[in-house]
Amino acid sequence: MAKTVRNSRTAVGNNEVGLAWKLISPTAIIVFSLVVFPAFFSIWVSFHDVGLHNLNNVFKAPFVGWQNYQQVINDYAFKFQSLENLGATVTSIIYAFSATTLAILLGLVASLLLNTTFKGRGLARAIFLFPYVAPIVSIAFVWRWILDPRTSGVLNDILLRLNLIEAPQAYLATRGLSLLIVILLDAWRYFPFAMLMILARLQAVDRTLYEAAKVDGAGAVQQFFAITLPELRFVIGSTYLLRLMWTFNKFDDIFLYTGGGFGTKTLPVLTYEFSFRLYDFGRGAATAMILLTILAVFMSVYVMTVMRKVDN
Amino acid sequence: MNKNNSLLSQIARQLTWKRFLFSMTMIFFLTSILFPFYWMVSSSFKTKAEIGGREPVYVPASFNLEAYKELLDPNHPSYQAFGNNILNTIKVSVPTALITVIMAVLGSYAIARLRFRGKELLLNSILIVYLFPGVLLIIPLFAMLSQIGSVLGFTVQDNLGVLMFTYLAQTLPVALYMLTNYFRTIPDEIEQAALIDGCTRIQVIWKVTLPLAVPALISVGIYTFMIAWNEFLYAMVFLNNRFLFTMPIKINTIFNDPTPRPNVVMAASTIMTIPIMILFLAMEKYLTEGLAAGGVKG
Repeated sequence: MAKTVRNSRTAVGNNEVGLAWKLISPTAIIVFSLVVFPAFFSIWVSFHDVGLHNLNNVFKAPFVGWQNYQQVINDYAFKFQSLENLGATVTSIIYAFSATTLAILLGLVASLLLNTTFKGRGLARAIFLFPYVAPIVSIAFVWRWILDPRTSGVLNDILLRLNLIEAPQAYLATRGLSLLIVILLDAWRYFPFAMLMILARLQAVDRTLYEAAKVDGAGAVQQFFAITLPELRFVIGSTYLLRLMWTFNKFDDIFLYTGGGFGTKTLPVLTYEFSFRLYDFGRGAATAMILLTILAVFMSVYVMTVMRKVDN
Repeated sequence: MNKNNSLLSQIARQLTWKRFLFSMTMIFFLTSILFPFYWMVSSSFKTKAEIGGREPVYVPASFNLEAYKELLDPNHPSYQAFGNNILNTIKVSVPTALITVIMAVLGSYAIARLRFRGKELLLNSILIVYLFPGVLLIIPLFAMLSQIGSVLGFTVQDNLGVLMFTYLAQTLPVALYMLTNYFRTIPDEIEQAALIDGCTRIQVIWKVTLPLAVPALISVGIYTFMIAWNEFLYAMVFLNNRFLFTMPIKINTIFNDPTPRPNVVMAASTIMTIPIMILFLAMEKYLTEGLAAGGVKG
């Protein structure tokens, strides 16, 4: 059937290939010049001494070999030194894995909540999406105001009244605590994405499975572990990987919450600092390349598991 | 009294541990989601005294517009000309959305329907690009555009046109990805019938496929609009002149002002957030599907 349709299509339009290229060329040119070329160009930049002084004549920048990479790797902000000073790589990995795990767990709970029938379910779903839809700049500054280190900060006020803390805390300016808070805020902001993915899958689960389990006398908890979780395995895995990669790449959130200070400097923030604070674009590009190398590991896992499964 | 009693007993009868757990979790989610939004809007109406006191004020005494006046009223002593920033954001995000949708429709139609060599390679590279970090691209883009700018004689910094152009790098891959998926769900048979009736491909696209794809076009348009509206990193790098700042950069500047004025920051954030939330609530049906399809990277 598919074959006959294809044949008839070739018969109808012989100049389809020409048309295809005409349709796709404006997009292809922009994607190539703004994304594909820059991606390769940044490899080149990472091996050259590029700064503000020679930005207008970038192709004549002197070749410096691995020097940028050596500088990055030996930078105190990059390498692991102690548990108090994790360095950007370890911080990035901790941040990406824990924020993703938490977001997925919250998303799972939220989707189970919304998969039941109750009045106002549509509204609840819309509200649950708010953190993900609202602009990050607004979100970040509201949280910074809620977490204000003075007694006028509302979280400090509540926790002081409940006697849970004795003195106001600087949530976003304390080593260790800041990283934890940033992870929690990230989970808060990104769980709705996981929720939507899982909810879509939940609604496709065959209802008769549950009825059969009920007949066999399985309780709600047993049903969850025997039916729901196995059905969700794939969607949870693929969402996890996708979110992991996006979180690993994230710049805005951490930059806006802490500016990368107090033990929250991740690789994207470090890349930004080298490039646009020190104006050492070579070193920035080298950092980005290291980031990309780690990302490539996650990506290949994603391609090998998720994309392959989708093809099947 | 009697009525009250029966109500209580009714509640007690219906209160199983399952319901209890459900309500508790629901309350936890709703408060933790809604409180920050309440705090943003309510703080924007607080007076200087209410915002700068030793203890937080939970409900402002009145709808005080001091913060909004500082942003929008030219007669205010520290007038921020926020209207300019709103306008700049619109100037960047509306064309980004329009150009992205037009180019993505053409490109994704070709990918979804027509057969040509290099198609799979193109599609896969778009998918991979989708996973690239923004910080990786901004260095070469900045260097590349400076180089081109010095040859062609335009400035890279403080040029809203250039900024919009770089946004295409972020929006086009997403839009292509979403629209290709959508076009694949429209049955090929409808188009085949029109082709056999003697329509040309372009006529088919214009008269048959596009009308069917309107929901997808709306959602892709809104997504790309939102990406440009919210964008922070590229705007921060490419804009130095405060009259050209988009809203996110301006809000960041007000926040980092030596005299902290949280009420003004919250007012500006409210102005920036409300259009997005209205768009989202009005178009929720279309948008939710797109979100699940990976519409917004983030």
